[in-house]
Amino acid sequence: MSDEPLIRLENVTFTYGGDVVALRDLNLTARRGEFVVVLGANGAGKSTLCYLISGIVPHIYGGRRRGLVSVAGLDPWDEPLYVTAQHCGVLMQDPEVQLFMPTLRAELAFGPANLGVDREEILRRAREALALVRLEGLEEHNPRDLSGGQKQRAALASVLTMEPQILVLDEPTSQLDPLGRWEIGEAIERLKEQGEITIVMTTHETEEVLHLADQVLVLDRGRTVLQGTPAEVFSQPDRLEAVGVKTPVLVAVRSTLLSTGQGAEERVDLTVSEVAEEIRQAVGAGQLTVRTDALPEPEPPPADAPVILEACDLTVEYPGPPPVVALQDVSLQIRRGEFVGIVGQNGSGKSTLVKCFVGLLRPKTGQILFQGEDIRRLSVGEIARRIGLVLQNPDYQLFTASCRDEVRFGLRNVGVPPDQIEHRVEEALQMVGLEEEADLFPFRLSFGDRRKLAVAATIALDPEVLILDEPTTAQDHRGRYQLAELARRFHERGGTVLMITHDVDLIARYAHRLIVLHQGHILLDGPTAEVFSQVEELKKSFVVPPVAARLAWELASVGLPPHVMTLDDLYRVLVPTREEGGARRENAGEGVV
Amino acid sequence: MQPAFRYFHADTPIHRLHPLVKIAYVMLTLVLVMYPIRETDMPVLLIWLGLSAVLWTVGRIELRRFATLLKILFGTFIFLILIQGFTYRFGETPLIVIGHLRLWEADLGVITKEGVWFGLVLSVRILVATSALPLFVMTTPTSAIMTAMSKLRVPRTLTFMLVSALSFTSLLFEMWNSIVDAQKLRAFDIDRMNVFKRAFKAYIPIITPLILLLFRKANDFQIAMETKGFGAPVEPTEIEILTTRPADYLWLALIVAVFVGCTVLKFAAW
Repeated sequence: MSDEPLIRLENVTFTYGGDVVALRDLNLTARRGEFVVVLGANGAGKSTLCYLISGIVPHIYGGRRRGLVSVAGLDPWDEPLYVTAQHCGVLMQDPEVQLFMPTLRAELAFGPANLGVDREEILRRAREALALVRLEGLEEHNPRDLSGGQKQRAALASVLTMEPQILVLDEPTSQLDPLGRWEIGEAIERLKEQGEITIVMTTHETEEVLHLADQVLVLDRGRTVLQGTPAEVFSQPDRLEAVGVKTPVLVAVRSTLLSTGQGAEERVDLTVSEVAEEIRQAVGAGQLTVRTDALPEPEPPPADAPVILEACDLTVEYPGPPPVVALQDVSLQIRRGEFVGIVGQNGSGKSTLVKCFVGLLRPKTGQILFQGEDIRRLSVGEIARRIGLVLQNPDYQLFTASCRDEVRFGLRNVGVPPDQIEHRVEEALQMVGLEEEADLFPFRLSFGDRRKLAVAATIALDPEVLILDEPTTAQDHRGRYQLAELARRFHERGGTVLMITHDVDLIARYAHRLIVLHQGHILLDGPTAEVFSQVEELKKSFVVPPVAARLAWELASVGLPPHVMTLDDLYRVLVPTREEGGARRENAGEGVV
Repeated sequence: MQPAFRYFHADTPIHRLHPLVKIAYVMLTLVLVMYPIRETDMPVLLIWLGLSAVLWTVGRIELRRFATLLKILFGTFIFLILIQGFTYRFGETPLIVIGHLRLWEADLGVITKEGVWFGLVLSVRILVATSALPLFVMTTPTSAIMTAMSKLRVPRTLTFMLVSALSFTSLLFEMWNSIVDAQKLRAFDIDRMNVFKRAFKAYIPIITPLILLLFRKANDFQIAMETKGFGAPVEPTEIEILTTRPADYLWLALIVAVFVGCTVLKFAAW
């Protein structure tokens, strides 16, 4: 790392039109080769910081700025965007909107060609960028045909061909599955190893960047809350939780069970084995007590409950060329009152399966039965009254002038009598906590609230089964469990829940049963703890069991039960000796709102 | 299935054809369909449609990609044939008589043979007009289109507007389908509505989110383009080197010969 500062922000305050202050008195210096991680809840100002460094502000988004901004010695405010772009590249969340050429080769050439770079030089840069992101051999492929992780790597490569000194990554993994996240993480790691580029990355996934970060900046509503090395920042879990930033799980465990106190600067790049060893020593030394009786065996799924939903030998094929078999002879039964998690890589057939359940897709062979009745006899609308599916993106469905109208829409479609509609609208909005916003224009709500509104619109139809598709997508640490909590309430009222997710902590916390799909087949299906224990099988699908479970398995020798799945479970079983019989530890949970 | 109007990579003579030859084919098609139309134009139009069919077949473009477009076109053709059947002013031979309602030179109660024929000619003309552009954009990479356009001195921004609009088309279809699915999940089943209900009511819950999403995507798209130097005041590098081969001249000669033949045939009848 050189001493030359490539990014220098001094006392920067930025205000968007309408007097929305997005950043206040921000100071940041980053040197060549330095990796800066920016953390914060949604609305903290992370993206604005990215825009400010890359020149998107003020050239695309306007506003007022105070303070000094220097990027590679230039003030992006004074330079046209194409000049700043030669020094600072940007990778955004959604790869779809960053890829617009018909072949990967053309995509990589687009940036330098715009700047008039020599053709041979462009081709050399493209070869190097492709090697770095490991996409060699796909030059003639249409970027839109690539997988999610490949698309984001293609977008990264297209930025790298500009040969920027600074790379701004705005939540580059938030829309990817575990494999995609690993792929893009690996590419970023190689860039960091080269040590030539200064990287500024915003994320909610603190674990992903722990080993890369040189400097961590934590923002809250535009203000700097914490700034320093990872050890300095992550040694203050209480302050992180207070602003909605996730403390890396192993750091949180260590801090809760082993640390001498807040603010002690300790190593944060930990492994499960290291923390397990420390816990083992603490148990041996009598500092921690194992209370196996504190965690009862998980309740088995209701085996005698009636089957509510059934897939029989389901095969789904998408037309080509070439045709793609999305599901192959899949059979499963969902019983009334179950809370089922469905995991698997993108393309494993998860969404195809639930689309078959709600009648959006018709299988090539096989059938879906709802309470024993073939759903082919029902229209999509009739199915919607029985099975509700909440999609990832609420913006595909919102179109009315108020939240109230949005919920009314479905009720009118299913023919609910007018005198009952208002009551059901109020009830649904109340359940998701949006009764105060009932008359607001839905697009004025935050993304998290728009998703809640989509849940309200679904729940209002009074379905017996609720299906959530990726409830944590694009959510911050605080928001990621909100939808799952709504599903839990629905489940407590007797409903059946299916939840598609990549978030193993979410599954461990809520689902009784877990189904793992892999290449259109059911790889594993059973009680959650039992499925998570099949580590080798799970590897095929890039599913890694939750950290708490892995810690518990490593600590089986000191008596930890194998069904520890969450941090709450872990803290119930492992108790500091001085606390035994005394007051329970506060703030030791997973910070779920 | 791959969406329509999207480039697909293949090694066919049409894919290898020089983009300027394909542009010439598109331009000559447009000239041909802009000639004043007469009921005797059918042979001319069918000859050009035959040429297009040859090019489509050699370029291995699948007709089923255009299923939706063909459905719309088919509806338009039926409409045209009926309208012309009833209203064609030179119609003399009655095919179906419903009643008599004379308005200026036409009897609106009678479907005439000449009117139906003219409706057919108009339909084939539309088919000819719509056959050229898909062939060009589906067999020519964007970079080659941009290079070819720059050789024709078309401003780069204009060319990019065209190619990015094409790129947006597939995104538009994906969004449309996702929105239709999302509304079906709220018991709004557009597939089961009749034509009138669809036209007057059904599209509001679909078009409103589509427009809002498009605005958002367009913004992201602008960021992606401009942060990659689009609009820099320098001569952009041409990555695609366009070379001319003897086959290009042969195809060009064939296309021009058919065009001249069609023109002669058309105006010989005047």
